[in-house]
Amino acid sequence: MLPETYKSELKDRLQKVGNPREMVVDVMLEVQEFYGWFSDEALEQAAVLLGMSSLEIEELATFYNTIYRQPVGKFVIHVCDSVICWMENGYGELIDHIGKKLGIGMGETTPDGLFSLLPACCIGYCDHAPAIMINKTVYGDIAPAKMDEIIETLRQEK
Amino acid sequence: MYPQVLLKNRKKDRILSLEEYREMGGYKALHDALTDESFHPRQIQELLLDAGLLGRGGAAFPTGIKMKTVPDDAPHPRYLVCNADEMEPGTFKDRVLILTSPHQLIEGMILAAYAIDAEIAIIFIRREYETAARALEQEIGRAREAGYIGKNLFDSEFDCDIIVHRSAGRYICGEGTALLNALEGKRANPRKPPPYPTVKGLWQLPTEVQNVETLCCIPHVLKNGVDWFKTLAVSKTGAGTKVFSVSGKVNRPGCYELPMGVKLSEIIEDYAGGMLPGSRFKACMPGGASTQFLPESMYHARMDFDDLKNAGFRLGTGAVMVFDHKTCLVEATANLMVFFARESCGWCTPCREGLPYILDLLNRIEAGEGEVEFIPMIRQMCSHMNYSYCAFAPGAAAPVESLLTYFEGEVMAHIENRGCPFKIGKVN
Amino acid sequence: MPKLIIDNREIEVPEGIKVIEAADRAGIYIPRFCYYAELGAVGACRICAVKFVDGPVKGIEMSCMINAQDGMVVSTTDPEARDFRRHVIEWLMMNHPHDCPVCDEGGHCLLQDLTESCDHGIRRYKGKKRTYVDQYLGPLIQHEENRCIQCYRCSRYYQEFAGYKDLGVMGIAQRIYFGRYAAGVLESPFSGNIIDLCPTGVYTDKPSRYTGRRWDYERVPGICINCSLGCHITVSARYREIVYLEGRYSGKVNGSFICDRGRYGFFYANLEERPRQGRVRGEDVPSGRAITMAAQRVKEVSESHGAAAIAVIGSGRSSLETIAALTHVCKVQGWRGPVLFDSRVSSESVRTAVSCIAQELAVSMKEIESADFILTVGADPINEAPMLAMAMRQAWRKGAGVAAIDCRSLDWPFQFEQVTAAPDDMADFLAALENSETTVISDRFVAQIKSIAAKIRACHRPVVVCGTEITDSKIIYGAAGFVKAMRQAGQEAGLFYTLPAANSYGAALLDEIGETAEDLIERIESGEIKALVIVESDLWDTFSDRQRLIQALEQLELLVVADFMATEILHRADIIIPTLSIFEAGGIYVNQEGRAQWSPPAYAGGTPIKITGQGGHPPRIIRPDIPAGDISPAWRMAWWLADRQPPASHDLLLDWMGKTFPVLEKAANFTSEGIRLYLPEARRKTARETGGRKIQSLGEYLLLPVAAVFGDEPMAQRSPCLEGYAKHPEMWMAASDARLFDASDGDAARLQLPYGPLELTLRLSERIAPGTLIVYRCPDLFWQQFARSSRFIVPKDRIRIEKKA
Ligand SMILES: Cc1cc2nc3c(=O)[nH]c(=O)nc-3n(C[C@H](O)[C@H](O)[C@H](O)COP(=O)(O)O)c2cc1C
Ligand code: SF4
Ligand code: SF4
Ligand code: FES
Repeated sequence: MLPETYKSELKDRLQKVGNPREMVVDVMLEVQEFYGWFSDEALEQAAVLLGMSSLEIEELATFYNTIYRQPVGKFVIHVCDSVICWMENGYGELIDHIGKKLGIGMGETTPDGLFSLLPACCIGYCDHAPAIMINKTVYGDIAPAKMDEIIETLRQEK
Repeated sequence: MYPQVLLKNRKKDRILSLEEYREMGGYKALHDALTDESFHPRQIQELLLDAGLLGRGGAAFPTGIKMKTVPDDAPHPRYLVCNADEMEPGTFKDRVLILTSPHQLIEGMILAAYAIDAEIAIIFIRREYETAARALEQEIGRAREAGYIGKNLFDSEFDCDIIVHRSAGRYICGEGTALLNALEGKRANPRKPPPYPTVKGLWQLPTEVQNVETLCCIPHVLKNGVDWFKTLAVSKTGAGTKVFSVSGKVNRPGCYELPMGVKLSEIIEDYAGGMLPGSRFKACMPGGASTQFLPESMYHARMDFDDLKNAGFRLGTGAVMVFDHKTCLVEATANLMVFFARESCGWCTPCREGLPYILDLLNRIEAGEGEVEFIPMIRQMCSHMNYSYCAFAPGAAAPVESLLTYFEGEVMAHIENRGCPFKIGKVN
Repeated sequence: MPKLIIDNREIEVPEGIKVIEAADRAGIYIPRFCYYAELGAVGACRICAVKFVDGPVKGIEMSCMINAQDGMVVSTTDPEARDFRRHVIEWLMMNHPHDCPVCDEGGHCLLQDLTESCDHGIRRYKGKKRTYVDQYLGPLIQHEENRCIQCYRCSRYYQEFAGYKDLGVMGIAQRIYFGRYAAGVLESPFSGNIIDLCPTGVYTDKPSRYTGRRWDYERVPGICINCSLGCHITVSARYREIVYLEGRYSGKVNGSFICDRGRYGFFYANLEERPRQGRVRGEDVPSGRAITMAAQRVKEVSESHGAAAIAVIGSGRSSLETIAALTHVCKVQGWRGPVLFDSRVSSESVRTAVSCIAQELAVSMKEIESADFILTVGADPINEAPMLAMAMRQAWRKGAGVAAIDCRSLDWPFQFEQVTAAPDDMADFLAALENSETTVISDRFVAQIKSIAAKIRACHRPVVVCGTEITDSKIIYGAAGFVKAMRQAGQEAGLFYTLPAANSYGAALLDEIGETAEDLIERIESGEIKALVIVESDLWDTFSDRQRLIQALEQLELLVVADFMATEILHRADIIIPTLSIFEAGGIYVNQEGRAQWSPPAYAGGTPIKITGQGGHPPRIIRPDIPAGDISPAWRMAWWLADRQPPASHDLLLDWMGKTFPVLEKAANFTSEGIRLYLPEARRKTARETGGRKIQSLGEYLLLPVAAVFGDEPMAQRSPCLEGYAKHPEMWMAASDARLFDASDGDAARLQLPYGPLELTLRLSERIAPGTLIVYRCPDLFWQQFARSSRFIVPKDRIRIEKKA
């Protein structure tokens, strides 16, 4: 369930905008933060808060990249697969390495629910290819060793 | 070293503070424009037009002309939207610009808003740029406190506020009209003008959409004059500087602010540190994934909108993506197609269905299942992308078309060898 | 007016239309998927590409996106354009399943047709096809998403045109999905139109699944008779039953679409329980024999008690032909009737409305779409005349304001402003709007009324929509007065009534007296009437006091019932005479604006093969005649009952009608849009003849049974596929009243009524008028314990509320 404080704060914010729809992406992202992913319950809550139908929210949720309509781990690793990262030397090995390290393939989540692996299109850090984004943080110049380090730090952090 | 304008005083790992920006003469243009009684906002439009400022988001449309299409008697509120979606693969200049000097963008936005009497300015930023978004929010707060944003700016009658909107991520959201739908909380399918956004944009009200870099140029044009801006360029018709995002097989990928019209070879050799050891230049995309491959014959071409256009190419966003002789361009193009097929908004048939079709054919060629007939098929489908609903599909076709034009031999080698020459060891 | 050349044909078209529409007008068909005239152009599918050879636009462009302009030269056959269109089809066919043989769309599939005509014959794409999981969308529509070609017609229609939010488009790129958030029954009562709209077989008609191909059917252009609007439909019949109905374009009435009540309300015609034989005192006889026997018995009663001891009841669900025949026969025989109205209130209301409608005031439903303000008074379009709500929504989409004076908690698919008024107060509110005389209305409403009045005054084409079910003749008369006043003030104001049945208007045209079933029952009770002939009437359901009705019927010496449906009353008859439905007999129906429309027969009648074949194979029993093919239309039977000869053909009947009834003078000259019939000046009511009655006093509750889109209308109510759509018994109460009972939404309400208790779920709303209790009629509710069109007063102490657990 969403915290009441969030609901009432959101009500105030919605009052200020001309049309609740203009807040829909913000609300989807915020509600997703609470649930960890954009579950049916999250979606239905967002619909109620915005005065929209569940279908109207689904139309948008399934349009965007970073609204997760399936459960994801605590850390979602978006691995850039666009052309610059892809043509970096050792890109293929890096991907294999990450998969092996976590024991999952693309689109999967580790059994402990910590990590998910998702492909992403160019994340705008081609000067630091290969680049990945974990939740909202971008990491550049990724090599297997660096990746291991990041994963271990996040494991500690959980 | 060419003169630095937009990236001047760029700090490593931190933004320019409000004070630092002011010391460099920041917000002077805004101050002067708003306090000089004899200066009419419409003069900004004239100045930008005379300065030859072309949109830096990829379409190279003259900013002054776009502003003039907002009718004088158009209703209010009017909107200025800063397009910081930057999802064009290979492009990262807007991120660097924001993280160099957020106030430069803020000042540019307020000035652009003033030019069309817009009271609401919105920064539409991609989610991957969270650092930039936070920096902007913080500096917008400072600018507001300092009186650069808000009501009755410099005691004039002009009000303007800036809002940061984070996208949930789709390349098509960067397309100027799809972006408006996204902001309205609708699926980000593009809209077909007329009416143009400057007449009926966000919520059917006049809206000017401008790229980050374009907006960043505005204070400098106002402060230093039209002639100064023109002389920054080294090409015949170009004006100003261009921030190139250089990536790929070079030693020092990164953002370089260079004169409009600088030679490609100069960018690669003098700024990006030359090709990687053991790599030879094979091709380059001059303006992101939706531009054509420049073959080796264009190695010394001037990187200018008009020069490239005349040669049958597009400068796009100035994202210089360098490919070396060891990279298979069929596979690289297939990679680009994966991106485009995945990011198509799904509205119109050629793009939604045609791109996956082209991708399938490229994959088959790469996998050694290619047939000679595929080549005319791909060519024809690419040309049909021109009849799609928005500029996405023609952009997606650009690399494929140029692959077939300039690297037909490489494609044919795949077909004849029934496999990728780079994989089956036919290339050194 | 721009002049342009398309395929060497020069045409002149109105300003502002697209090239594709210009081509339509020239009779040149340009392929289209996403374009649909009433949904507008969005340029998504790209199949309408043509070459602009010369003029202001050059090159290949989408003909649906470009306005027709002067000097254009357009080629639809240009090789480049054709090549592109062929590719568009190829792309669409990449993922389309080749399941045409088992697809119900096959044979009338736009995708099939255009694949052929655009010359895409050979599959080149070697990849796999994308597939989807289908959704259950309810009993009316079958979903097969794999067939989708992403034209966006359905989502645009459903959300933008119709205003419902539970079907749309999800996903992106090549993974787009059209459907609902979760499987479930579609919420819109206009959902069936997506079947007609979908250019392929994603949405197909579920009740008729796998019954045949388009060319197997007998198809005729018909008129829907499930409400008073008379929407245009196409009827498909096969094997002596109606298979399905579709919307049919009418530029005056419904446009392209129809509601689900109309689309699925025809099953009464196919039902096994339908009377198909005559029955005399429990014994089956051929239908002709039943008529002769009835005529004989009527004659006997007439001889022993006089002609005035015989009465005839008809109804607004009969055709104009039947009503005319009954009227004539009663007159010449000296029988009472035909009585065409159930209650006095309803008779008053309908006849007042019909006497107020005049050529210069009436607007058609299609014209409502261009109104710039709509005021409704005691009308609930969604429930009383569904497609009217769609027309109003289109006006609203173009910017029209909508205000409603009503006592119900109205729920419409567009924004409107409601003035909550008790039925007794509606006339005052209407008057206040007209002449700004606000002293009579409660202070609370003065500001709202003034603001609405100002809006109405400021617009050019206001329309007043007035109901006839919960209003009285004073309001109905007042609505017309208001429209006249506005017209005098220079506004192009229009008037639109809704009526209770498909031919209520026709009934009022012919009925000069307006006697009601209520009056007749009194005469039966007093012994004045001994024989009753009931023709196609739903009195059993609609008469407010069923106990009294039953007793009265038992007092009769003779009860003859003629109908095409197995009504309850039919089973109580001494003699049953089967009649033909509109699909077999055809018929003229006069809609609520006075538009008389002819619906031709769709098939010759007879018991469906499904019934006669009893599931055997082949299902036919070979015989020279049609089983139960001897049934006559009710109008013929009317003459025979009087032992007279009817006109020999339908044409002669029309001639006869025009000559016999001055108001029907034009009846023989039908056009596809019908003809408009109005009462002559002399027969119009004056203000003195109308009245409102304040019937409620303080501390009393007015119990008002009101119309519901499903489960109420007598014919559609019999459709098995619509069963689940009827409301559950609910009673709506004003939120302020609920406080007096300490009641909350969802509690159980128990009313002590004269014939026993009535149990309902309590629903609360701020928009219910205080003192009013609203009950939506539905099959689960024995609402015949109180009046249908008149009202029922419940003292406060007869209402008990039980808290929800
Ligand atoms: C598919 C597509 C994606 C685009 N993405 C961006 C973008 O991310 N940022 C941007 O500034 N312009 C983008 N554009 C260009 C915009 O449509 C628009 O031309 C631009 O924002 C206008 O600003 P400018 O005149 O300052 O360049 C995109 C265009 C297309 C067709
Ligand atoms: S070309 Fe068509 S499908 Fe592709 S992004 Fe534009 S509108 Fe969407
Ligand atoms: S389901 Fe039918 S109407 Fe809807 S988009 Fe697909 S093809 Fe078009
Ligand atoms: S009909 Fe014109 S694009 Fe679909």
